[in-house]
Amino acid sequence: MQEVKLTVSYDDYEDGIRMEKLIRELAAKPEAGSLESLIIGDWGQAYENSPDEFMGTLTGLASSFPSLKKLFIGDMGFEECEVSWIIQTNLTPLLVAFPELKSFTVKGSSGLSLEPIEHAKLEELIIICGGLPKSVLASISRAKLPELRKLELYLGVDNYGFDGSLEDVLPLLEQGLFPKLVYLGLKDSEIQDEIAKAAAEAPILDQLEILDLSEGTLSDEGAEALLASDKIKKLKHLNLSYHYMSDEMLIRWKRSSGISVDVSEQQQSDEDDWRYPSLTE
Amino acid sequence: MMSGMTEMEENLQRPVKNSELEQPLLLIGNPNNRRTLGLQEARQRLGLQPALVLPYARLLKIWRQGGTIANALQQCLEGRGTTYTQGEPWVSSPTLMSYANHDSAHGVKSVPLIRIDAPGEEWEVERELLFLGAVKDISPLTDSLSASMIPAAQTLTLEQEWGRIYAPNQWFRGWKACLERIAREAQEYWPNARFMNDPHDIAIMFDKRKCQQHLSAHGVHVPPTLQSSELISNYEDLRTAMKTAGMNRVFVKLACGSGASGVVAYQINPQTGAEIAITTVGMERVQGEIIFYNEGRMRRYTRTSEISALMDWLCAEGAQIERWMAKATYGSSVFDIRQLVAGGQAAHAVVRLSQTPITNLHLRNERLLPVEAGLDEHQMDGVQKEAKAAMAAFPNSWSAGIDVMLSAGTEPRAYILDVNPFGDLLYRVQHNGLGTYEWEMELLRKEPHNHAGYEHHRRLP
Repeated sequence: MQEVKLTVSYDDYEDGIRMEKLIRELAAKPEAGSLESLIIGDWGQAYENSPDEFMGTLTGLASSFPSLKKLFIGDMGFEECEVSWIIQTNLTPLLVAFPELKSFTVKGSSGLSLEPIEHAKLEELIIICGGLPKSVLASISRAKLPELRKLELYLGVDNYGFDGSLEDVLPLLEQGLFPKLVYLGLKDSEIQDEIAKAAAEAPILDQLEILDLSEGTLSDEGAEALLASDKIKKLKHLNLSYHYMSDEMLIRWKRSSGISVDVSEQQQSDEDDWRYPSLTE
Repeated sequence: MMSGMTEMEENLQRPVKNSELEQPLLLIGNPNNRRTLGLQEARQRLGLQPALVLPYARLLKIWRQGGTIANALQQCLEGRGTTYTQGEPWVSSPTLMSYANHDSAHGVKSVPLIRIDAPGEEWEVERELLFLGAVKDISPLTDSLSASMIPAAQTLTLEQEWGRIYAPNQWFRGWKACLERIAREAQEYWPNARFMNDPHDIAIMFDKRKCQQHLSAHGVHVPPTLQSSELISNYEDLRTAMKTAGMNRVFVKLACGSGASGVVAYQINPQTGAEIAITTVGMERVQGEIIFYNEGRMRRYTRTSEISALMDWLCAEGAQIERWMAKATYGSSVFDIRQLVAGGQAAHAVVRLSQTPITNLHLRNERLLPVEAGLDEHQMDGVQKEAKAAMAAFPNSWSAGIDVMLSAGTEPRAYILDVNPFGDLLYRVQHNGLGTYEWEMELLRKEPHNHAGYEHHRRLP
């Protein structure tokens, strides 16, 4: 047993079944000992109920899952809950309870906090949401994650919880914050151009292999800065998919030899010239 | 062309010798549309006589002029605008009426079968149905008049605005009156004729409110309906009923809408009060009046002013309101299944994927075969069992395209979303090497008496 996803379906929820019960049942199985990846899906009306209902159970039974390397809290689709409506909580106890964890993914940012973030072995942190609160950004910039290799953040829009500005993102572009970081994703942002301009010459590029600025409102403005940067040319890959760049800019990317860049999913501004990131629902 | 032909296809090419024993088919539909042509092609391939096509436009016009279905058919037989494409009509002389009445001489096999097909996609027919729906006291089946009535005199000169949804409740009144009159006149003129799908059943299947109640009463799994002690007649009622029931996510569906028309996925965030309505219904204010129309793309309304206008209209025109349950997923898409059932058998199935809660939007959504979507035998068994149970709730009807959803989660359950009496128009899908119409016609040829109204329906154990 490598990976298990636990979901409380509509029928289950109506029948009174809760995530806590599913976790207990899983922990009681002999295969629990070899489980490497646990995905917590919909815990039932996640727009109303937070993971607090099962957090204690999961942390309490952590020793039943000694092989667990990956944990995903809130893997649910729009049919189950709008991303921006998923209610989260302070998830730091999970990082404490699972010291062997290598990958931690969270979906939804309403009520989310991760304070403090400290983990000796975590290599991957991913937060998928409609808008990331600046308090969480601050926690990440204070985090102690010596092994972190991949950081992927959906920054989103202010309507859905992004209450910050470029100032709150800048600390993540400092070099040495996470010494082993090679993949940085600052994506799905409504200030994607500002981020691109700031990232283009950021010191952190010297340690990165992949920069991911996809899913946001990147236009030619941000693209110009990236194209002009020598540091960008040294990356192994640049992900700009889902963007608002012009056809001309796409041709320029095509001609810029030596850069591995994904410029798929070109978007058109709407009638009022509004540009939306991908995950704004 | 002959090379690579399968045995089945060769069999299909072989003409049937004893065509006089064949069950003649009267098709009430719109000539030259994909349905009628598809059915005629299937009959030709099977060596069956073409169906005699009675166009809705002709029938409705003759009714309006005081005639009957017999007059309309007489006109067709006399060649005035006959619509069968080739060959002789299945009855030339004497007329259909005498033919049908002579079944004692010809044996039961010559009793004609009547297929009522979809009336849609022809503006002249739409206008006639709106006209029929404007005439009062035509039918005990019909409900009260809706607010957006178009007076009878105006209906026939109405110009089509593409996509606009005209007085859906009035249209439905007209459609139900049409079905009822076909039933009545058929009984009168050809008492031995049989319907492929019973007109009364069609009226129920078309009414999402009645259909779901009917299915539920027959023990078929359907999404729970939003219950309310009061009639839900507008947005305020809807909000109240949702709050009382603790049901924060619902589908509000125009009771008589087909396809994705008039379907809204609506949710309220109980924490923040935010609301979202996802739909293909577009709204436009024209001279103080709100015009509703079908859009090819998905709209997302979050403003209360817009959502309330939409819901006021839907509730006034008649809406089915049911729990929005999370559907099973394939990759990043959700899906449901269109399952064809005919003669008690489940055959062709198409998986309809969507990136939105609405799966039956024809324009964009991807379609897969069940096996392509990774559905295993166990899951398809569940789908087919439920679809057949839904069909069995209509013992006087023979064929329908049944929309089935599987719930999300590790133990998906099948729920019936819709029963489409004309749901056999499915492309690019075969069963035993046959397209949907070929398969149906082959079934009818093999088992002409295994038909509702004749003997039995196949009740599930």
